[in-house]
Amino acid sequence: ADAGRVLAVPAARQLARELGVELTQVQGSGPNGRIRPLDVHRHAQRSAEPA
Amino acid sequence: MTNAPLNFDLLVIGAGPGGYHAAIRAAQLGLKVACAEMGAVGGVCLNIGCIPTKALLHAGETMAAGKHATEFGLNFGAPTLDIPKLNGWKDSIVKKLTGGVSGLFRANKVTHLVGQASFVDAHTVRIGDQTVTASSIIIATGSEPAALKGLDVDQRVIVDSTGALNVPDPVPARMLCVGGGVIGFEFAHIYNNLGTKVKVIEFLPNIIPGADADAVKEFSKSMKKQGIEIQTRTKANSATVNGNEVVVEIENVETGEKTLETFDRVLVAVGRRPRTDGLNLAAAGLQTTERGFIEVNRRMQTAVPHIYAVGDVAGNPMLAHKAMKEGLVAAEVAAGKPSEQDAVAIPGVVYTSPELAWVGLTEQEAKDKGYSVKTGVFPMSASGRAMTLQSTDGFVKMVVEEGSDLLLGVHIVGPHASDMLGEASLALEMAATASDVALTIHAHPTLGESVLEAAEAVHKQAIHIINR
Repeated sequence: ADAGRVLAVPAARQLARELGVELTQVQGSGPNGRIRPLDVHRHAQRSAEPA
Repeated sequence: MTNAPLNFDLLVIGAGPGGYHAAIRAAQLGLKVACAEMGAVGGVCLNIGCIPTKALLHAGETMAAGKHATEFGLNFGAPTLDIPKLNGWKDSIVKKLTGGVSGLFRANKVTHLVGQASFVDAHTVRIGDQTVTASSIIIATGSEPAALKGLDVDQRVIVDSTGALNVPDPVPARMLCVGGGVIGFEFAHIYNNLGTKVKVIEFLPNIIPGADADAVKEFSKSMKKQGIEIQTRTKANSATVNGNEVVVEIENVETGEKTLETFDRVLVAVGRRPRTDGLNLAAAGLQTTERGFIEVNRRMQTAVPHIYAVGDVAGNPMLAHKAMKEGLVAAEVAAGKPSEQDAVAIPGVVYTSPELAWVGLTEQEAKDKGYSVKTGVFPMSASGRAMTLQSTDGFVKMVVEEGSDLLLGVHIVGPHASDMLGEASLALEMAATASDVALTIHAHPTLGESVLEAAEAVHKQAIHIINR
């Protein structure tokens, strides 16, 4: 309902800032699509791979 | 004599919760830090806020506890209160904690500068007769009690929160608290327990703005039961001091009816205003909002990016733990780290007995945001632990999103609600569901089980109450 809220644990939010990852682009693997640090790492790795 | 300017990586203006957190974290991250304070280190919270009020609340509650002990056959007799000793004990705690902050400054090699700060330009600040230049500057100048027209604070008969901390000898017989917010109710509770007949008046239709309506209703019921009189939609127009008494004109704002009532003390607690007097913000290229706040982004940066503002001066809610978090964020950003004030929720607490504590959205706020809402309530009267503590007023109310079961808010009225709130805050930050809370084993018997049972009640599966 609250469109602005991204469900992510605090450590994932912190990591996303450090890696320059936009949390809204990350697929969360937790309940309700909750984003965990591992998801942020995966996203950052995928983005770094050549297309 | 002209002194050469002192140069720092970071200058923090103000040594309250926001300022000292910023200074210490910045020093931990290797910055050369100075912290300027014109008054006592620790700021409002340690010196004339959080800490001394909690000390007096504990004293009042201990007196009340002695009375309740007769229920299980323990008779202490009528208590006597040595007021100078009470004030001295309270002051000794403040001294110990502010001394602790000074010690932490020394240990972290934070340079403590004494004096009023005033900007010369965006990198230069005068502190007393010293000139300081810094790459980054954090403004943490806090707030002060808001004045109320017609009621001039003399800190004797008409007091603000600072004056109310000094318990007079003898304790006042009749007291009026103007303002039914957190500060008003904490003092009402202190003085009520110390034997004062207390009346609280609030201009708005509800006391404790920002709290959940059901929680406020439960809280209000308990306060009234303990003898505190509460009148909402009521204001104080004027006060006339006659010796040690004060006659106050009180007006019911609905009917317009005015009455004159006599008290021995009046507390004005109608809010706080941000403090930027004397800072000469214009020299730094800064201005305040209409309400006096310094606007910041999530990194706590002002319109001038190397100048930050944290805590009460940066906006509501004016709470110590918010200032602390913002201080850490500002320090980390100043040290080049990608930090942000990204908290899901900032908890609020009224340290009365029972306490009122909440984090996240109220039921109404959740509905206003468009959530389809489910709630679960567990009353303290069904808690075995609460019974053994003679403290069965209150409940835990959980607000969740229907379908996803996502936790949106937790509202607690009850003993040690402030401590129970830590679990709820973590649950919200971790985007937990009511099921996550319900599936977590909570020790028995504890007050914290009430949080588990409220989560179970969301699913109509609480064990210790009948689910309807």
